[in-house]
This record gives sequence, structure tokens and C-alpha cells, in this order.
Amino acid sequence: MTVLLGDPVLAELRQILGPEHVLTGRADRLNRTRVPAPFPVHRWAERMPDLVVLPASTEEVAEVLRLADSLRIPVVPRDGGTGLTDGAVPLRGGIVVDVKRINQIKEIDLDNRTCTVGTGINALKLNEVLGRHGLIYPDDPASYPCSLVGGRIGTSGWSLIGSRYGHTRDLVLSFDHVLPGGRVIHVGDGIGRKITKSSSGYQLKHLFMGHQGTLGIASEATLKLFPKPEAEFSPFWAFEDYDSAYRAVGALARAGVATFAGAVLFDEWKVDYLRRDDEAYIPQPSSVKALVCAALYGYEDEVRAGGRRLLRIARSLGARYLGDEISEGDWAARHDRYATPLHGRTRSGQVVPMSWHCEDASINYTNLPAVRLAWHEIADRLRRESDVFDDWGMFAYTNGATGADYLTEIDIGIWEQRLDDAAWEAWVRAKRDLAAVTLAHGGSISACHGSCRAGEVDLVPEELGGGYDVMLAIKRAIDPNNIMNPGKYLLDQAYAEKS
Amino acid sequence: MKYRYQDEMSPPPARRVTDVAITRFEHVFEVEPALMTDHVTQQDFPNWDTLRLVRSRADHLAWMHRHFADKVLSGEELLHDLDE
Repeated sequence: MTVLLGDPVLAELRQILGPEHVLTGRADRLNRTRVPAPFPVHRWAERMPDLVVLPASTEEVAEVLRLADSLRIPVVPRDGGTGLTDGAVPLRGGIVVDVKRINQIKEIDLDNRTCTVGTGINALKLNEVLGRHGLIYPDDPASYPCSLVGGRIGTSGWSLIGSRYGHTRDLVLSFDHVLPGGRVIHVGDGIGRKITKSSSGYQLKHLFMGHQGTLGIASEATLKLFPKPEAEFSPFWAFEDYDSAYRAVGALARAGVATFAGAVLFDEWKVDYLRRDDEAYIPQPSSVKALVCAALYGYEDEVRAGGRRLLRIARSLGARYLGDEISEGDWAARHDRYATPLHGRTRSGQVVPMSWHCEDASINYTNLPAVRLAWHEIADRLRRESDVFDDWGMFAYTNGATGADYLTEIDIGIWEQRLDDAAWEAWVRAKRDLAAVTLAHGGSISACHGSCRAGEVDLVPEELGGGYDVMLAIKRAIDPNNIMNPGKYLLDQAYAEKS
Repeated sequence: MKYRYQDEMSPPPARRVTDVAITRFEHVFEVEPALMTDHVTQQDFPNWDTLRLVRSRADHLAWMHRHFADKVLSGEELLHDLDE
């Protein structure tokens, strides 16, 4: 679709939203194309929307979708644009619906411990208001200062402190969802806005989370709130080998400490990377080969008790506490990874500017060591081929309080300025191989980002099996004209089958 | 204004920390200058600005902690409790 100024579509959109909320300028459109881990930058122009709209309410979103559906214009919702699987990036042009104006706090219900907000609000800003009531909305991605509630719903996000408080799917109680044809539905547990458990009917809330904008747009959400923690404890430990660190992270996660909010394992490649550029780890002795951290939140007395227990466990497994300064500083930085300026190294060691490409998966604890070796083999292959790629190592974050599985990520630096079609193809092949390793070890291709980018998306039908056929049928039923984020998740197949 | 003084443009002598890093101020590290010659070159910073950047980062991290809890517990103190 190419929209020309004076086009009747523009006139109708301006009528619906007001002229100042329909943007056609190149800079406005480029700004809504940008994501933190770019698709190939040398092909940026292919990902530009034709125009951007900024609705202020559920009703305006519905009117935009009604118009787009009637004219078969592609629509891509965009919240913070911080996702790492390009959900907010158009593949077919069309209209980007930027929800940032839908950012009001509609209600804070102190008695039921919920709040209702426009999905364009950011959790950090929301928590600054909730803090005045002694409350917190504990959805904590690495993009905490810049991601928005609607994007967290659209990706079914993962939270750093999810082992204590749950992830986005657990924290969002219900939301208004605009279907592709413009109909507004409310999904949650049952029909209730503030109900946390219902057995009435299909559980639609989960269907409308994590769809990467392919099933409509969430516009208003009711969220679960907790008392703001009185105390935090975030110890970091050093280990002389990966195996000891691996045993320790498992023991910490399985300890059953109620205030345990998460633990992270850093492998040898990650430690090598940090030794180059991180002030906390540059001075560490060469005997440090792996790291583990944990985080606890709650009332001070319970955090103290849980903290002592975890310190005892870590010490019994050969850990060396890295001190308060590193522990406090590094944990705070985990909430805000997107503020980190990025650069990598050529094979000769020269510094080059690089962007951050983070591939994630859900992997069971017992498979972490094998996946780590297989993934680094793939990264080494890339590194041998070209200076465009740099292996920045792996993290494994607990997904839950029992330690069953981990958000496992490998960070690859990519020198975007040198990227060409051949290097991009090598990267896409590597992503496909990383996903294949995940499936071979019984994992899921993504714990956090989603899996609709080139490479890993090819294996989604294999991962979901018969469930993928159901996914195609749902897409066709809910979005018969394929206007919502067309091209993502290989869902065009739904319409090929129909024809 | 301090930034106008010439001595602010003369950083303390570098001390090597590792093969890839040097230090000029306590707890402040820089990439070994020889590794920033081909693609990214180092900039000249007045001393006050280097220290301001480091302090700003610390302020940012403290501000981030305050979003999540009223107080951060000391591991060193808890370890001391264990040893007693």
C-alpha cells in the first residue's frame, strides 16, 4: 500500500483522530521503524510504514481498525518498540498504530489491589505513582524504563523478578482488545475486570497475549498490584568453573525461599566479554570463570532470613561473594539493559560499534550445559566467518520459583555498518540453527521475545506441531482479511490454505 | 568555570590493568587506547566530565533501586552474621 497525501484514507483518518495525530513525514515513520536489535539495516527502507496514527482511546483504535479492515490496509501496533523479534516492525507497509497517547491511569483500586491503565503507559512511570500508595506493579523486563504495558501484552513478556511475582501473563488480569474488524472485546478470567481466577468458558486472555500484533490491539488493561518491597537483596558470586556455578544456580533456585525473585547464571564467554568492558569485572582475577546472582524482595525480616539461607547455600558450593558494590550496581543495571552503549571487537581486538542481538529460549535446567556448548559452536562459526559478529556470551535466568527452566540467551554483537546480504544470510542461518538446538533439547524457541523473526520462525510450526494448525485457523477466523501485522509468524499460510 | 582550565584536559597518567584496559581514576576503567585506532577513536574528555559520567551512572543505578524497594540489604553484613 502506498498512501499519497490527499488520499481519501488520510482524510478519513484525520477526521477520526484529528490532523495532528496522523503522521506521514519520513522522520515520523523512520522513528516508528526503529527497534533495538535491527533487522538488516541495509534494508531498512523495506520496513517503513506508509503512515503513523496516534489514537487516544479504545474507540479511536476501533475506528482505525474498522477503516483499515474495510480497505484491506495492513496495520501494525507499536508500543515501546523495544521488542527483540520485530513485532512492531511492518513487513508490508500500511499503518502503524502508535498507542503512546493511550497512557492514562484510569483507576487505582487500593482495596482490590488493582489498577486500570491505558496500554501506552510505561511500568516505571506507573510505579512512580503507585509508590505513593506503597504499591508496585512488578513487571520488570530489561527494557523496564522504556517498554509499555501494551507491548508486554503483545509479546507476553518475561519479567526479571517473575520467579517471585509472575510474568506479564500473570500480572495482567484483563484487558480491552480491539479485534481486526474494529469490534471491542474484554478478555480476562471470565468477563470480570479484576478477577484473578475463573473457570468460565475458554481462557481467552492467553490467546490475546503474545500474538505480536497479529490478532488486534490491546488498549486498556487491569493489572495486579503488590506491596512495594521494603527490602531488596541481590548477591553476586564468582566461581572458578562453569560446572560449580551451574550447580549453585540450581541449588539456589530449588531452595524454596519465598522471597526468591530470580537467579542468573553467567557462562565463561559472558565473563570474558565483561572483562573487556565492564568496570565491575575488568579487575577480577583470571580465576573467575563464571558468575551467579540472585535477587530477593519482600519485608526486611523475611529478606534477611532468605538472604542468609542463600548465602549459606552458595558458600557451600564454592562461591565467592563479589561484594556489595558490584552486587548492587550490577543488579540495578539488569532493569535497564537498553541504556548500555554497545561495542564489540574485531578478531584483532579493535573496538567497533555493534548492535545487540539477543537470541533467547526456554531450556530445562538439566539441558543448560549442553545447549550452551552447542550455541557457542554456532556463534564461533559466525565469528570465524566474519568480523561482523562477536560472541558476547550467555545468561540463563530462572523462569520460575522451582528452577525447572531458564530463559537462556546468547548475546551476539553485529557490526551493522558492515552488514550485507551475505552476512545477514549467515546470521539468519545461525538463528535457525540456534532454534534447532533448542528443540532438540526439548526447549521452547523463546521464553521472552517471541519467535517471529527470520530464522527461528521457520521452526515454529515444528515446535507447535498440531497446535500450529490451530494457530492458522484462529488467525483466519479472527482476522479474515489478514490486516493485522501480515507476514509475521508465517501466518500468510492461513490464507493460502483457504484459497 | 572548571572546564576551561587547561589542567582539566590533562588526565592522570594511565596504569595498565589488563591487556585490554587501563585506569586513570580510581574504579574508572578505559579501553586500552591502542584498541581504539582503526574504527572507533577515543575522544578527549576533561577530567571533570569523565568523573561526572561515572557519578551519573551511580546516581542512575541508585534511582533504579528506589523503584523496586525502599532499602538494599548488604551481603557483607549478612555474611558477617553467618560467621558469628
